[in-house]
Amino acid sequence: MDVFFNLTLNGLATGMLIFLLAAGLTLIFGLMDVLNFAHGGLFAWGAYSGTWLYATTGSFIIGILGAVVTGLILGLITERVIIKPVYGNHVQQILITLGLMLVLSELLKVVWGPNQLSATAPDFLKGSFEVGGVIIIKYRLFIIAVGLLVFFAVQYVLKNTKIGLVVRAGVMNKEMVQALGINIKKVFMLVFMVGSGMAALSGVLLGPYSGVIHAEMGMEFAILAFIVVVIGGMGSFPGSILAAILVGLSGSFMAYYVPDLALAANMLLMAIVLIFRPQGLFGWKG
Amino acid sequence: MGGRGEKKVKSIFVQRKNIVYTIIAILLILFPFMNDSRSMMILFTQVFIFAIFAMSYDLLLGFTGIVSFGHAMFFGIGAYAVGIFMKQFEPTLPYFLLAVVITILITAIVSYVVGLLTLRLKSHFYAMLTLAFASLFLVLAEKWRTLTHGNDGFTFRTPEIFRDRLDFYLICLVSMIVVFLLLNRFTNSPLGKVLQAIRENEQRTESLGYSVIQYKIIASVVSGVLAGFAGILYSVSLRFVNTSVFTMDITLDALLMTIIGGVGTLIGAIIGAGLIEFAHHWLTELAKVHWIFERWIIFFGIIYILVVMFFPRGIVGTVRNIKLKSKKRVTDKSEQQKAAG
Repeated sequence: MDVFFNLTLNGLATGMLIFLLAAGLTLIFGLMDVLNFAHGGLFAWGAYSGTWLYATTGSFIIGILGAVVTGLILGLITERVIIKPVYGNHVQQILITLGLMLVLSELLKVVWGPNQLSATAPDFLKGSFEVGGVIIIKYRLFIIAVGLLVFFAVQYVLKNTKIGLVVRAGVMNKEMVQALGINIKKVFMLVFMVGSGMAALSGVLLGPYSGVIHAEMGMEFAILAFIVVVIGGMGSFPGSILAAILVGLSGSFMAYYVPDLALAANMLLMAIVLIFRPQGLFGWKG
Repeated sequence: MGGRGEKKVKSIFVQRKNIVYTIIAILLILFPFMNDSRSMMILFTQVFIFAIFAMSYDLLLGFTGIVSFGHAMFFGIGAYAVGIFMKQFEPTLPYFLLAVVITILITAIVSYVVGLLTLRLKSHFYAMLTLAFASLFLVLAEKWRTLTHGNDGFTFRTPEIFRDRLDFYLICLVSMIVVFLLLNRFTNSPLGKVLQAIRENEQRTESLGYSVIQYKIIASVVSGVLAGFAGILYSVSLRFVNTSVFTMDITLDALLMTIIGGVGTLIGAIIGAGLIEFAHHWLTELAKVHWIFERWIIFFGIIYILVVMFFPRGIVGTVRNIKLKSKKRVTDKSEQQKAAG
């Protein structure tokens, strides 16, 4: 029972991190039809800048905020300089964002060196407590809380504000939104920045969770995020959190019982979804 | 007015091109006899191998318009197949040929399955799924330690005929030329024309009655098998194989070579392969001068982005465009003069 509970918690925490990454991907895809292969690079930049800020200032909060700001700025630059010239051309988009991924992760090595950095949780999140004989690690709970907070905040904005309305309408039919006199390009930029900020947040939260950060982890997590986006449905925000939790849980349970097949299990899940429901569990775009 | 003149220009153009290619091929064959620098020969061998790999990639990206981010998996399958056969059995030619057959089978099956799953969907799916599949193979190679020795990899002995560097140089060169000629024939065949039609306009090709998905799968299988062949040559040249053959870096190499050299032109892939391999060689040496050259790939990443944005046809495509334009101007002028005179 103890093991089961711990694995569930672990899976939920990993799921939340993947969700933060995948949510940005899926929103950007749904709205602008761009699949950002550099998303993992933004994630890694968030991890490095946040961990570095935390180490130099000593404040975890500043680290997190710094990472999010880094994500927002990089997102802005990416959208303006890299994505904007190639809107509408899928092949070019895919190629150019992968090129950006390459440049981002190499730049990371230029700035912080090619070795991995170690990251620890701040004192108030260290350690664990016991509830009814089950040991709960504080930091995992913290990740789950942050993930849920972001989910509900974004969900609230999408459902209850004007900008959210525009985004949801844009996902359905962007020409129509534009015809109604709304500058959708501005909305694109905003969504891209928020998505990048979420990726960076996910990166900085991962640091203390795994203990070390390295430049290659961007790609590793991006692959999981892609799997989540396919399973949840491209463009579906609620789909991304459910699929992320599914992938996180399957990853953590498989890693405990049959560690060699953890990734294979998720791939199998994706293959099944692709065969029977290519638009994803919650999506409608194929 | 332009029709006949253009044809004439083109045929002169093709003829001259063929002569140039033949001269270059002869020079490359003679090269090791004139220059006995061993490292240069090894570098050239590497260029030939990666040229095959890049051409196979170009068949997908340049001729069919499919983006794959997992091309390393086919390369890796070939590299490991030959390594495992040479290590577990005897390093003889029959076992080598058996490894080649196994590689062809596995790469064909894998590319067929991946294609079947995703090629009917938007281009994003194929890119994503190939990326995920390649990482699955990477994990497999890391975990199946009894066969692959994990991350450390293993060395193995190769059949007699591959041991001499000069012979191997010639084998790789001939392989590259044969693959070039085969792919040239393939892309100019009716089948190849359909592939290019898919690249230009998929819906239109579909509505003309072609089953697009089938053609795409054929392209991805041919490309996968050729990439596996390049992997075989690669691991034979090193007599060593480890998990690096499955990494993203290999796919990125193919991407950089094809994009910078010129998509949709086989010769572009070869030029790109030469450019990247030589740059890798020289810039790594420069790392002693300044550490930034250790990260030489960053320059190519930036060049790559600029090429995708501003010269989507790469070096060869851009040069060809300029040439065709100036040729056309010349013929137009001469025909005008003829008409006037």
